[in-house]
Amino acid sequence: MNVLAIQNLKKNFGSKEVLCGLDLSVPEHSIFGFIGKNGAGKTTTMKAILGFLKSDSGEIYVMGEKVYFGQTSTNRYIGYLPDVPEFYSYMTPLEYLNLCGEVSGMNKSDIAMKSNELLDLVGLGHEHHRIKGFSRGMKQRLGIAQTLLNCPKLLICDEPTSALDPAGRKEILDILLAVKEQTTVLFSTHILSDVERICTEAAFLSDGKIAMQGTIAELRNKRSSDGFIIETVQKEAADTLIKAFGELQRTEQNAIVFHGSEERFFAIMQYVAENRIPVQRIEQIEPTLESLFLEVTK
Amino acid sequence: MKPLLAFMKKEYSEAARTGKITILILLFVLFGIMNPAIAKLTPWMMEMLSDVMTESGLLVTTVQVDAMTSWTQFFKNIPMALIAFVLIFSDIFTKEYKSGTLLLVLTKGLSRYKVVLAKALLLLSLWTFGYWLCFTITYSYNAYFWDNGIANNLFFSVAIWWLFGIWVICLIVLFSSLLQNNTGVTLCIGGTVLLAYLLSIIPKVKVYLPMMLMDTNSLLIGTEKTNAYIKAIVITTALCIVCVAVSIPVINKKQL
Repeated sequence: MNVLAIQNLKKNFGSKEVLCGLDLSVPEHSIFGFIGKNGAGKTTTMKAILGFLKSDSGEIYVMGEKVYFGQTSTNRYIGYLPDVPEFYSYMTPLEYLNLCGEVSGMNKSDIAMKSNELLDLVGLGHEHHRIKGFSRGMKQRLGIAQTLLNCPKLLICDEPTSALDPAGRKEILDILLAVKEQTTVLFSTHILSDVERICTEAAFLSDGKIAMQGTIAELRNKRSSDGFIIETVQKEAADTLIKAFGELQRTEQNAIVFHGSEERFFAIMQYVAENRIPVQRIEQIEPTLESLFLEVTK
Repeated sequence: MKPLLAFMKKEYSEAARTGKITILILLFVLFGIMNPAIAKLTPWMMEMLSDVMTESGLLVTTVQVDAMTSWTQFFKNIPMALIAFVLIFSDIFTKEYKSGTLLLVLTKGLSRYKVVLAKALLLLSLWTFGYWLCFTITYSYNAYFWDNGIANNLFFSVAIWWLFGIWVICLIVLFSSLLQNNTGVTLCIGGTVLLAYLLSIIPKVKVYLPMMLMDTNSLLIGTEKTNAYIKAIVITTALCIVCVAVSIPVINKKQL
């Protein structure tokens, strides 16, 4: 079942077309990477899902229920973590979670139990100071605790790792991995290593549309290979090869890279065999999300 | 009901922890004491100045002060307290739009109209508390020094001025739902009051306007009857309800 389905979503800001017919579906219990450049419309899409932004056309369904702008009852299924979450700074983390719990109609004992459990999960269990003095990473972690409080079916995180140092990023990613069993995670990012580390599925947003969507393996397979690296023993051998095949590019003294068709590659191999050129290494370049991203967003 | 109460609790703790309640109490106590104090000090000040004034040709006779002097001061000073109140609380909504703190509680399922109600109730209760605290202090001093009986329609006059304050607070709610920043909110409230003031220059129009409720002098000295204020009271009450009622659909459709 799809937790989230978006059909033909359009949104303009003045004359600027941000989303032009976006279609997206997020299956249950996936960690879904929503990838796009800065300003591609990731936050706009998320705000539309939450009913904070009026879309020009298109429909959004959360758990099969239609999302309406303004009074958004589907938000009861959603936990939302903005890119820079802001809390009432005069409260302690426990007080803040208490407010969130009461606002969402949970009973007192559930709130107490769940808050302590979640604060331990995000490593803020022993933090009794007010939020005022919290670092970005701490706020981000409190943000995750807050989103998980009422056991959401869909967790929406807007660039949760973009502003953090490597240690902070790792902590957030570990938490997101840990909650996979309980919920579905949709998280936007432009950090591709994060997507490769934790996501089960991903979609590329480009020019206001989904340019590509699938599991990480499927996406990788979309580009069978990025070419080959051929490393010869001597520099002269590399020179000979470059002379014979114009499309080869030198990367190091005796290493050349090849992008092209399979037939052409075998022609090079034949040339190598016929001329008895000593080769140290031939390696297929693994396709990465980065190369895919650059290709898609070109 | 529970989410509303939870959000109201948050509003009160915010007002307390950010020091706004302390400032308000100090402000209203200060104004409460100042009214009788100024009245009490007037003869002494006149005496101090009499030499200088005689030199410049002004003859100072004995100045008579009573509870009336103090009540006149009360109605002169209370607009200042109301302006301070508006300035202190003009960002009560806009601060949350700007910082994005509202987004998180709204995604937790809080209805937007409950945000409006909680904040409106906080403002109304704080204004009511502060205003009547100021009144009680002035009333007690006046009763101790002089006789409050000299002022006609005292409670009525004080009550209609309180209602005027309620109208201004409902304007805070209305403009906060329409605008994004507190400077805009303050300017629009100022503009609305100024417009009402300009209209009230026409006597026939004045009886229908909230500005009528500020005009308590003639009530106190007994030259005006309370009946003359009924129209303004009814219209102001209706305006208050309309302001809050309009701000709810506006906030419901606000892009956050």
